[in-house]
Parts: sequence; structure tokens; C-alpha cells
Amino acid sequence: MLEELVHQAQRGDAEAFDSLARMVGDRCLAIAVRILRDVHLAEDAVQAAFITAWTELRTLRDPSRFEPWLHRILTNACYAEARRRTRWSEGMRILPVAGTYGPDDYVTVDDRDLLERAFRRLTVQQRAVLVFHHYLGLSISEVAARTDLPVGTAKSRLHHATQALRASIEADSRATTPTQERLA
Amino acid sequence: MTASRDPDRLIHAFLFEGEEQLHDQIYDAIRAEIDQKRQRAVFGPWRMPIMNKLVPTGLGAAAVVVALVVGVQVLGLTGGGGGSPSIEPSPSPSVAPSPTPTPEGGLPEGPFVIVDGPFDFGDSGLAITVTISAQDWYGEPGGGILGKNENTDPPDGSAVIVFAGGNGWHVPGDPCDWDSTMPETPSTTVDQLVAALAAQGSRDASTPADITLDGYAGKSITLHVPDDAVFATCHEAKFCTLALPGPDPARDCYRYSQGPGQVDNLWIVDVNGQLVIFDWNGFEATPEGDLAELQAIVESATFEAR
Repeated sequence: MLEELVHQAQRGDAEAFDSLARMVGDRCLAIAVRILRDVHLAEDAVQAAFITAWTELRTLRDPSRFEPWLHRILTNACYAEARRRTRWSEGMRILPVAGTYGPDDYVTVDDRDLLERAFRRLTVQQRAVLVFHHYLGLSISEVAARTDLPVGTAKSRLHHATQALRASIEADSRATTPTQERLA
Repeated sequence: MTASRDPDRLIHAFLFEGEEQLHDQIYDAIRAEIDQKRQRAVFGPWRMPIMNKLVPTGLGAAAVVVALVVGVQVLGLTGGGGGSPSIEPSPSPSVAPSPTPTPEGGLPEGPFVIVDGPFDFGDSGLAITVTISAQDWYGEPGGGILGKNENTDPPDGSAVIVFAGGNGWHVPGDPCDWDSTMPETPSTTVDQLVAALAAQGSRDASTPADITLDGYAGKSITLHVPDDAVFATCHEAKFCTLALPGPDPARDCYRYSQGPGQVDNLWIVDVNGQLVIFDWNGFEATPEGDLAELQAIVESATFEAR
């Protein structure tokens, strides 16, 4: 089904491309939101990615690889969006808590705030590898393909991103603990 | 957060939170934009573009957004780099209606408007017409490409691609390692562009020659791809000739080769300050007659302000 739509869209069928977009758009938004940490920026990135995908679609050699190919475009769109919008705190729409879900209730409200701060301290490139690995559950080689990195670099970036996130979490924990103790 | 909690599990769980629905207005905006945006036509080893599905003549006059990527392999290609082709100016260049496709899909002999609108990298303000003097040429009016027998692939295809306008081109020093050898400054004149192409590594470039097209002066140069080039080892597996100016996303390779041994003839002219590039090419087994037709098509080019 998806491959047939890709074939049709490659022949200039905008209706088919619209159907394609609706099949994969939610996942694209989810990825972009998690990389950019802002819904508006993510929507802009997704829109830009789909426009690029439309104009470049005939360069896609294997229609079965549409989604990985699109994710690579999306990643670049996220990077571009992040470069354009460096003032993160202005006009930002904080990720909604209501209506979201997780695999479990492991993340508390305090955790969430801590992780949000920690995640924002990462570079957008670090966030991208974390999102593709942890959120989509992709292997390192698949992450590398989506981020246009050699496998070794992707592995290294994931390691450093994870370490940076852990360090940031631990630093935040150390900074908040005395206050909590005093309040207690 | 307590120290006993698993950071990896926290990260994993945290990433499963957040917006996951793209709103309808975004889909609508995407649809509205793609309805106005033309797909980049691609000649490549894997498929022909819609060369046998030519748009109606009337659409050829609409503003088009075209970007072209062609790769072909030529050995023994004649003309172009070594000679000094000269074309007499057209006394009264005029844009003729684009011909209607024949039932078989090939274009009829006669004038063909190969460029009639802006490219996505800029607008030269030019309409460019060529004359087709043989059968079995395929192209989309205004699409910037003509190919013989719907075949641009090795070992015997042939095609011409036209780029017009824009703010110049980046010519990577190394067409394989193009990403890291892209110059900061684009080539914005015929002389700069030809000099940069002549200096591009591993291309065995010909000595640039003076040409004129429709009375406009320019240069020709022939570029080769080494027979032993391994594209898979190149950045993005592309052997890159030209890239566009602009921020990194726009500096993707815009013109890349298709295979080892490829030879392209680039004829570049300055039309009232606008760079126009004709890249005509073939393959080792391309019939000489096809190449002669191709060269004649390029030499017939006329330019007119839209």
C-alpha cells in the first residue's frame, strides 16, 4: 500500500502524496517534537520535510525505504529549524502532559521537569540520536542512516548524549537535594 | 528523582511522552504547497522521469520549478570540450509553442521550449528554445531536459540538461569528498565557474574553449569521471559536480554523476548577466548519430526574456 502510494506520488500524484503524508505524519511529528522539544517548531519542521520529500521524491530509488528516507529529511529539517530558532524560551509551547502516554508510569512530575531541562541542554544532534534509538527503538546502523552519520560516529554520539543526559540529571539532582532537605 | 532509579529507563519513558498527532491544518498546508510545487525531475540509473507523460502544451507556459540531476557515462564523446563551436545569433529569437507529443511519446521535430520559468534556485527571466531535428527525443516542456529514446542510462543513453539563473554555483574541489571540499564562495561568472570545474580533482578536464550560443559568449569544458571511481565511498554515494549556494540544506549536491567513466560536456554562457549551463552527455555506446543530434540541439538554443 505504502509503496504503491510512493510510486504514484513519484509520478506526480499529489493526492497519493497527501495519503502518504497522513499515513506517516503522526510519527514524523512525534519524532520532531522529541528532537526539538517544541510543538510549533516541530510542526514547521515536519511541514518543511514533507515539502522537501515531495520535490525530491523521484530521487528515492527504493520506495520501500520511503519512511527511513523521509526521517533523514526530517532530521535535517529539525536541524535547520533549530538553527533558525535559537531563542528557545520565547513563544515556546511546552509539551503537554495531558493526553500523552508512556510505556509505564516510571516518570514522575519531578522527573519530567528534570529530564526536560536536561534534554534541552543537549545539542539537537544529540537529541536526534537519542530519539531514534530510544523512541523508535532503532539499531545504531539505522540511527546512523537517519542522521547521515557513519555508524561509529552515531554510536559515539549516542554514548556521549546518554552520558551528558545522565550527568545533567545527576547534577540537577545534586542541586535540588539540599533544598528539598531544607524544606523537609 | 532518586539515585536508585535507572536513568536509561527514565530517558526511555520520558521520550514516550509528548505530542503525537499532526493536525489537519498542517496536512492542508502541505497539500496547498505541493500543489504549487513541481517535483524535481531526475535522470538516473534507476528510472526515467515522466518523459513519456508529457504535460499538455498549455502547462508548459506556467511558471515551473525545476531542478535537474543527470548522470551519464560517455566514452569517446565528440565535440564540446575540444572545439570552438560557434552559433550565429538568431536575428529575432522567439518562443514557439511547445510541440505536442507524438502518439508514441516522442517530440515532433521543430522548436521546443526547454526552459520557460524559474528554477527552484533562481529565476533567469529567460525562455530558452531549442530545435529538435530528429525523432525520438523526449522531454517535458519547460522541464529543462531532453533525452533520446527515453533512455538516459548506460550504456547507450544520451541527454541534455539546462540550468539557468541563480546566484552562482559551488564547485567542490573533490567531487567524491564533496561535502568537505565545498568552497565558501560560489562561482558567479562563466570564467569563475569554468576555472573551478577545470580545477576539480580527478575529472581529467579538457582545456576550456570559447563558444557562443545565440550570440552570447561563453566557454565549454568536458569533464570525466575516473573509470575506477567507487561512488559508494563518496559522501552520500554521490560524485558531485555542482552544488547550490545557500545554507547547508540547500547545498546538497545538485548535479552528480551516474557512473565511473562518465563524460559530460558543459557549455556555459552568460546571457545578459545570467549564467546558463547546458550539460549534454552520452555513454560509451551511445550512437554517434544521437550525439550529433544532441550537439545540434544545444547549438540551436535561443534565448528570450520572458
